[in-house]
Amino acid sequence: MGVSIPPKEADRLKNIVDENGGSSDEFDSEGEASEGSEVSEVATEEDGGSSGDEDASTSDGSGLVDDEDENEGSEEGADANGSSSDDEKASASVDDGLESGEGSGDSDSERSEVAEESDSSEDEVAPRNTIGDVPLEWYKDEQHIGYDIKGKKITKKERQDKLDSFLASVDDSKNWRKIYDDYNDEDVELTKAEAKMISRLLNGKAPHADFDPYAPYVDWFKWDDAIHPLSNAPEPKRRFIPSKWEAKKVVKYVRAIRKGLIKFEKPKEEPRFYMLWGDDSGAADKTNHLSYIPAPKPKLPGHEESYNPSLEYIPTQEEINSYQLMYEEDRPKFIPKRFTSMRSIPAYEDAVKDSFERCLDLYLCPRVRKKRINIDPESLKPKLPSRKDLKPYPSTCYMEYIGHKGPVVSISTEFSGEWIASGSTDGTVRIWEVESGRCRKVWEFDEAVQYVAWNPMPEFPILAISVGQDAYLLNTGLGNEETQRKVGELLHVEAAKVSDDSS
Amino acid sequence: MDVDMEERQIQARFVTKLNPPFKAPPSAITIPATVTRLGLSTIVNSLIKAGDPEWETQPFDFLIDGELVRMSLDRFLLAKGISAEKTLEIEYIKAVVPRKEEEPSLHDDWVSAVDGSCSRFILTGCYDGFGRVWKGAGVCTHILEGHTDAITSVSVINPLGDVTLATASKDRTLRLWKMDSEGVEDSPAKIRPFKILRGHNASVGSVAAQGSGSMICSGSWDCRVNLWQTDESSAEGDSVSVKKRKTKNGTEEPQLEGAPVSTLVGHTQQVSSLVWPERDTIYSASWDHTIRRWDAETGKDVSSIICGRPFNCLSVGGEGSTLVAAGGSTPILRIWDPRKPGTSAPVYQFSSHTSWISACQWHSKSWFHLLSASYDGKVMLWDLRTAWPVSVIESHEDKVLCADWWKEDCVISGGRDSKLRISSGVPVL
Repeated sequence: MGVSIPPKEADRLKNIVDENGGSSDEFDSEGEASEGSEVSEVATEEDGGSSGDEDASTSDGSGLVDDEDENEGSEEGADANGSSSDDEKASASVDDGLESGEGSGDSDSERSEVAEESDSSEDEVAPRNTIGDVPLEWYKDEQHIGYDIKGKKITKKERQDKLDSFLASVDDSKNWRKIYDDYNDEDVELTKAEAKMISRLLNGKAPHADFDPYAPYVDWFKWDDAIHPLSNAPEPKRRFIPSKWEAKKVVKYVRAIRKGLIKFEKPKEEPRFYMLWGDDSGAADKTNHLSYIPAPKPKLPGHEESYNPSLEYIPTQEEINSYQLMYEEDRPKFIPKRFTSMRSIPAYEDAVKDSFERCLDLYLCPRVRKKRINIDPESLKPKLPSRKDLKPYPSTCYMEYIGHKGPVVSISTEFSGEWIASGSTDGTVRIWEVESGRCRKVWEFDEAVQYVAWNPMPEFPILAISVGQDAYLLNTGLGNEETQRKVGELLHVEAAKVSDDSS
Repeated sequence: MDVDMEERQIQARFVTKLNPPFKAPPSAITIPATVTRLGLSTIVNSLIKAGDPEWETQPFDFLIDGELVRMSLDRFLLAKGISAEKTLEIEYIKAVVPRKEEEPSLHDDWVSAVDGSCSRFILTGCYDGFGRVWKGAGVCTHILEGHTDAITSVSVINPLGDVTLATASKDRTLRLWKMDSEGVEDSPAKIRPFKILRGHNASVGSVAAQGSGSMICSGSWDCRVNLWQTDESSAEGDSVSVKKRKTKNGTEEPQLEGAPVSTLVGHTQQVSSLVWPERDTIYSASWDHTIRRWDAETGKDVSSIICGRPFNCLSVGGEGSTLVAAGGSTPILRIWDPRKPGTSAPVYQFSSHTSWISACQWHSKSWFHLLSASYDGKVMLWDLRTAWPVSVIESHEDKVLCADWWKEDCVISGGRDSKLRISSGVPVL
């Protein structure tokens, strides 16, 4: 029948059915009684006054109606009322998933005592639809649920609070068969027959008990003395060739795909395991499929393989003899031969061998894509600057400052570039004029001079030197009187204090 | 025409711009092709002697097409591509070679600066802090005292009129000295200091005077060029104070103190040499590899020549007094023409020295002649028309620190050997 039941409800129904199986007798009478009460209840609800008989008959007559799947019975009844009251409503009703047509035959046996039902589709009950094709959530906060035939709001029933409903459920023996219908805001009680039907559905059988799936085929349209067939049209060609409409459909789909109207999206799966230590790019490359690496193309036959090549291609007897002298692997594999006529051409000896080897190459030979590194080896060499870039570099010695007796270990130039101070291991510090090479001043010490440095502030021409374990500040005597005076003040040494340079 | 190379003859005619005693007969003569300058000189001498029996042999130099002949004639013609078929016109000039080497004038210390712009005397500056005035070789007339440190540069201001002398020293001052012009040959002229110019923050390296003598400029190791007034009157407003100074003999001499009129800022290293050729233009050469031309009025740097070497010396002269000659820490003496659009490339380059060039000077009258002094101990005289030095004066044993022309036919130079040497008899013109 193809009815799908949500799993939660299905379990509930199963429970109902199981229990139903145990106490069938009790249930029957109760079912009938409830049925009747149900019908009358429904009748009182509906404003469209309809005859009870008709209601009953039609309620029995219409089979399974599927609005919400669990409310089959009462739906039926309600819809029957609805449809009988509004005859203009076609049985091809608005709601989806209705199967009102089927019920007519099946519930025959069930409700035969009530009335005979009609088979016409006019009497089929459209499912009761008071709220319209809107989602049920829209009525969540409202006081009413749906509208009646006259357009008045149908108010919701008062809900029992949880405690009362629980007590009621405990007391009521039939509570396990009652289901609350949201659309119509009522409790629906399933009949025995309905419960059985549900159980058959859950087991995958046809919902009506009297359906025989293995019944023999009754050919209604057969008569014995038929001399003419129903149709003597020749078999059309289209039954044997690919269907035209299918091709057109395919073309339509292809066009839609190409335009991008139809999209195929694989559901994006989160990877279950993340590669902690691996490179993501490597994972992307190492897909499961084998990347197709084509086999190398076989060598096409050239002039040597010709049956009648030019004379120069054919080796002489001496050359052939010389092949014997070579190593096995050095010998040429193919010796061209000349055949003057097609008749004298022998069979190719290596045909099978060649094709076998080619097959091996094609599908048995493992091929791997090697990633070649394209590094220009010259680029690995460090780039040394050219000589021109290094200019100016000293190339000729023009000036010598001659005067020191020992190796000069330290040199310092004054800020303006006029003087050079140099200290050497012979214990002397000299000041030289840069442009002339003249030694202007000499200081002598006992130990070797390690380091000389000019005062970074050019206003005070003081030289700092380190001699052995001591450091000295020397007044170089350069500059005019004013500078000398200032320097003298700076380097003034008092009795016990050590002089410090204010800079 | 002989085929043999040895015997090739060339028709030549000698012309000269020299005055009559030197004129040779203008007729063409045949001379062998392999003759060199000496040979040519001998020929001309003999030609002149033929006309003038009292002629003394003089060395001559020869120009063909404006270039001095420095090799044998045929090679010269081959190198220049001059045809030997026609009659050659050879111009001869006096060879610029000093004829006499005077006695050295001894100083107490290195001679750092000479100035021979005044033909009456030579002014020298020395490392002992004294300036000296010499009348001739070995004849020192005045000693200028006052500086406390070595003198780096001297200059004679206004050599034609009221002579003022300027000395620049490493004690960061410049001093101006006035020479009384009443001095006749015999009675010594008095020189007295009259101004001290303070304003530099480092040793003064060079000094140059304006043509009219009213202003001087000085360049120093603090990368600046200062302009000063040289007038004596204190009403100019330049002198800061009138300072009295006691000399050794107790007499007080008023000393004016001067402050710079303006400062030209732009160099990044020591200003080693200055020239003030025209009223408004000052050229300065510096160790920051540039020669800058300044506008004296505005004090702005007009243009600069950039060369890859620090410059030691600068001179402006030559044709129209516009060629700039400069030498520096390379042994190459370069000459630029600032009128040409691309001034970075030197017009001439003379590279016969072997060490730093410490001084260069154009001859005041000639278009072609200049001298240069170098630390290799040589003073070389150059003619623009040839790449080799016209003459080399090797009178110093050690570095030559300064050189100049004197009296238009003498070359004076001073060096590390504490001597002032005069080479006279240089026939430039």
